Amino acid sequence: MNEERRKRMLTTHPEQLTNGPEAVQRIDTNYEERRRAAALLQLAERLQQSMQPVQPSADFVRGLGRDLVDRARRQVRLANRLRRAALIGAAALGSLLSIASVVGAVVFVVVRLRARAQARAVQAPTG
Amino acid sequence: MHEESDSALIARAKKDPDAFGILYERYVGRIYNYIYYRTGDHQDAEDLTARTFHRALRHISRYVDRGAPFSAYLYRIAHNIVANWHRDNSRRQIISLDELIVGTLRREGPASLTEELEEQNMLLQVVRRLPPERQQLLILKFVEQMRNAEIAEVMGRTEGAIKSLYHRTLVALREEFSTAQDGREG
Repeated sequence: MNEERRKRMLTTHPEQLTNGPEAVQRIDTNYEERRRAAALLQLAERLQQSMQPVQPSADFVRGLGRDLVDRARRQVRLANRLRRAALIGAAALGSLLSIASVVGAVVFVVVRLRARAQARAVQAPTG
Repeated sequence: MHEESDSALIARAKKDPDAFGILYERYVGRIYNYIYYRTGDHQDAEDLTARTFHRALRHISRYVDRGAPFSAYLYRIAHNIVANWHRDNSRRQIISLDELIVGTLRREGPASLTEELEEQNMLLQVVRRLPPERQQLLILKFVEQMRNAEIAEVMGRTEGAIKSLYHRTLVALREEFSTAQDGREG
């Protein structure tokens, strides 16, 4: 038997089971192939009957939905708080750095001026 | 019916809690079905469905949309959670609701109906003994009634690979099922 044809027939079969009789007519197989694959097709049909969708209880769906939205709300609030804290921290650090750099610059200028004054004092003629 | 795409909802869910609620409503049925057919028990299905969505919510801020459907992400989480559950419960004897119903019907129902239900139950038990990816394939195909192309997207494989896997799965299942039937009759 053509393995590829059988594979194709089997894989399209469940879709055809759910798509009505006109889809079943599209199965492109001869009698012999059908006979050989009959056991697998029968199993596929049995699976189709046994594996019906189930519904979760409405209470469960509602309850879990509420719980998830509550958690999502808390998660978003926490993320916002963390973002704000990070922003404030970064701003504070930036401010500290600016102050430090201004202080540093002032100290640097003062030290330079003092050094220049001392040098001038040393170079000035005495008496 | 909410028309907003999954991608738009995921982007919004990072800041808007209600967006995650819409995603949840869109997929809770599918994930529940998947877990139910993997565990065979409604209570466990509820518990593990809740864990799946809680985990998805925890990680939604880090979710990167790479074009794969959001359902694939949820099925992957569910798959991992079910795998852990099976590992944790491997030493515990679980009697599912299905088995209890069949047990009751065996005592009370007409013989033909009981036999049919027993066969159905046996088939589902054999399905649950298959490797996880084969179970997933059967659930997506028969319970969710997805087409091969959709299954391929969810499972991150090519359509050809799905066709081959389905064929191998049916062959393996038929053998396992025949063995189980012979065991019951013998």
